[in-house]
Amino acid sequence: MITGEGIVKTFKQRGNVLGAREVRALRGVDFAIPKGGAASFIGESGCGKTTLGRIIAGLETYDEGELTLDGVPMSSLKPKQRQPHFRKIQLIHQDPYSALNPTRTIHQTLNAPLTLRAKQTGRSKAWIEERAAEVLSMVGLDPGSVLARYPHQLSGGMRQRVVIARALTVDPEMLVADEAVSMIDVSLRLGILALLKDLRERLGVAVLFITHDVATSRYIGDDGELYVIYRGQVVERGPVDTVIADPVHPYTQSLLSAIPVLHGLERPGEQPVTPVESMEAGQDESGCLFAPRCPFRGERCADERPLLQVTEGIPQEHACFYPERRSVVARPMSEV
Amino acid sequence: MSSAILETTSTAATMRRNFWRGVWRVMKRKPSRLVGAVIVLGFTFMGVFGPMFYPEVLPRDTSQLYAPMSAEHWFGTDGQGRDVLAQVITGSRYVLLSALVTAVITVVLGTAIGLFSGFKRGRWDTVLMRLTDMKLTIPGLPLLLVLSTVWSFGSALEMGLLLGLLGWGGVARAVRSQTLSLRERGFIEAARGLGLSTTHIVGKELLPSMAPYIAMNMLIAVTGAVYAQVGLFFLGVLPYEADNWGVMLNLSVFGGGALTTTAALPYMLAPLLAILLLTLGIVLVVDAMDEIFNPRLREE
Amino acid sequence: MPGQAPGVRIDGLTVVYKTPAGELPAVRDVALTLEPGTITGIVGESGSGKSTLALSLLNAVQPPGRIAAGSVDIDGLGDVVGLRGEELRKARGKHVGYVFQAAQNSLNPLKTVGKQVLDLGRSHGVEDLRGLVRDARELLGRMGLDGARVLDSHQHELSGGMRQRVGIMLALVLNAHLVVLDEPTTALDMITQANILKIVREVHAERGLTTLVITHDIGVVAEVADRLAVMYGGRLVEQGPTRQVLGDPRHPYTKGLIRAIPRLTGDIAEARALPGRPPTLTTVPERGCVFRDRCELRMDVCDTDDPAAVAHGDRIVACHAVKVREHA
Repeated sequence: MITGEGIVKTFKQRGNVLGAREVRALRGVDFAIPKGGAASFIGESGCGKTTLGRIIAGLETYDEGELTLDGVPMSSLKPKQRQPHFRKIQLIHQDPYSALNPTRTIHQTLNAPLTLRAKQTGRSKAWIEERAAEVLSMVGLDPGSVLARYPHQLSGGMRQRVVIARALTVDPEMLVADEAVSMIDVSLRLGILALLKDLRERLGVAVLFITHDVATSRYIGDDGELYVIYRGQVVERGPVDTVIADPVHPYTQSLLSAIPVLHGLERPGEQPVTPVESMEAGQDESGCLFAPRCPFRGERCADERPLLQVTEGIPQEHACFYPERRSVVARPMSEV
Repeated sequence: MSSAILETTSTAATMRRNFWRGVWRVMKRKPSRLVGAVIVLGFTFMGVFGPMFYPEVLPRDTSQLYAPMSAEHWFGTDGQGRDVLAQVITGSRYVLLSALVTAVITVVLGTAIGLFSGFKRGRWDTVLMRLTDMKLTIPGLPLLLVLSTVWSFGSALEMGLLLGLLGWGGVARAVRSQTLSLRERGFIEAARGLGLSTTHIVGKELLPSMAPYIAMNMLIAVTGAVYAQVGLFFLGVLPYEADNWGVMLNLSVFGGGALTTTAALPYMLAPLLAILLLTLGIVLVVDAMDEIFNPRLREE
Repeated sequence: MPGQAPGVRIDGLTVVYKTPAGELPAVRDVALTLEPGTITGIVGESGSGKSTLALSLLNAVQPPGRIAAGSVDIDGLGDVVGLRGEELRKARGKHVGYVFQAAQNSLNPLKTVGKQVLDLGRSHGVEDLRGLVRDARELLGRMGLDGARVLDSHQHELSGGMRQRVGIMLALVLNAHLVVLDEPTTALDMITQANILKIVREVHAERGLTTLVITHDIGVVAEVADRLAVMYGGRLVEQGPTRQVLGDPRHPYTKGLIRAIPRLTGDIAEARALPGRPPTLTTVPERGCVFRDRCELRMDVCDTDDPAAVAHGDRIVACHAVKVREHA
């Protein structure tokens, strides 16, 4: 079980003589991912979803709040002591091309963490070799043909599988996939998504999916939770299928409306939402963060910030004063 | 699956074999690289075994002062009637040995400091880089001139040590910036996430990625060191205790007047030619470094 | 202004790249017609040759690549394969506007956008530079930006979506009527992408353009294109009106590709990845169908004969296994 409570992260950008500029990446985010569960953070680039993923994987620190891994609050530990906890959470990078060392063979890449593991648990050398072959088979690669290769000899899809195999060498409890398929050929993306889902079911590994492409988050399992993040705040949270089918926050609705419709195969939703274009200068700090772009903003939005809440008749949590269901998602022709 | 396991147990050996096969392939790709390698090997041979073919003190033939090039004396003789070629060969050991020592010290020290600085960042980085900056601001030649008044540099090792201690700054800076950019790469982050030791990350992940760079710097440091010491001896600031190409240049110009008369010309040209050839050899070999250490370029 | 949109006829186009293994075709025997005033979308994965095809439109394939055969006939320009030097340089920009892949990063970081517009004008011998800047400002305004401010900005002061618009402006400002957009929305967020696609559609209609969009994302083509062409391994395997191709794909690769797209609604079990991997320059088979290794309809003839592109009505398919029905 991995939980976060009120996680705040502020980046200080080196400014001019007059002082540094602060960028609020996360403004008090709560989340909970059960053992073997699935969750997905979605939002535009710069919304803080990647920062949150990196905090969860122990690659970034947070300023306020508490991250708890299996009941152990991370702030109670010294940095050195946190390492074994964070090892249980493995990050799958977006770019499989930079995630593997180009000068090392797949064999070398997998052996390093396995050797460490063997030393800790008193296992033999034969176990290392066996396990390396095993994790490769788990991700659908043929160990015999892959082990002796260098990364450049593999396709993008195969590399991403190797990256996942490397993460599996430490028996992780959760995989954090940060845009893990965005750099992979379209025809192969579903293969990686299916693999993550399969690992979840077979090994009980939790999966956290970070993406700007909402559709891919459906493929990690229908019990997954969706977190829609806007400017460091969770604005809508609920079961994946519920949020996609019936989004209530105007930002979620804008995101879903923006997904291209396969005309000829699908018909677009009847009430698409087009937000006001984001202008960097108009970063308003008071009131609802989305209000400056929101086509439906009301009186309360300018001064008061809505917090994540449950309201009557709406199954998911949302942070909007005027939640309303709108039909924004395209549906297959065959369904209508 | 058992066959797969059998296959992997010998991978280390196979890989080493593949590496050398790859090196050969890279060298073969351009004939100039082979030429370079032959030249460098030739000089190595000359430095190691060359002096063994000659007596400790070269014989003088007072009837043949500044003799022209002939079958007997390929590059003529010097003002004392000694064979010039023999001097180039016996002098090569000092030159090459000290250059090698310089290169090793430059690269080891520069790489270590650069890696440490770039990897640790923070306070260590600041301190080490200030130190490097200070070191870089010390003008090398004047310092050498000052030091030469108290130190005679009779041994090649001393010479190499000194030049090495003066030369690591540039490499340290360059390696540091390489480290800074590499440590942001996904595979370094992944290694840390997997709990791999810093020794592993630096030694096995970072260092090999910088290998072509380091190897290039090492070779270039060799030429730099040759120029530096030959220059010192040529200027005559060091006493003629050692056999050295620089001493030859000095004597040919200031003793034999090679710049004004033709008699001592071969005497001057021989060491110059040696330096030129060595530089050429190294430049030709450096060309292959990138391809040797990059698996993608090596295999293609 | 409509009526100026040029038509383009590509025929038998083959582009080869020199490799250690000899000259290998990145684009092989491609025939494609861009009707005046239409938006055509080319979809393909990495290594399909789609970007090479786009570059051929300007005769801008860089060594080690070269156009080995075929013609690219553009109305008002003739066959660009035969153009050289100064003629070619003039044609780029004036007749054919090109928005590069990653246009977000193709601006000069040291110069303001306005200066770059002036540079462009000067290199094409534009007399009325004042008018050119005015056009640029209007175009940017049309795309929802504050034109004057953007012209005064450097690249780093603009967001990804704004840079992409600047890229489109630079392609159009010399009044080109044939525009090529290479991956116009890659690396942009969904909402920005939707806005850019809307702009592409609107500007296309208002200025009377012929537009070619190159992308790996079928969704992008589905949103903007009238016609869709699917590339695989350097070949055009299927083309036709977008809605027809999406609603009723014929070529097994098109079918597989559409089935492999994660969708927001519908049964997720129906979506499946294509087996195997797309070919690269060196792994494309020399003989026979380029797709056969991943094809579920593979027959003996596919190993030996390259299927010809057969036209039936509006649809063109290159597959032995598909008997294209006559389409009304």
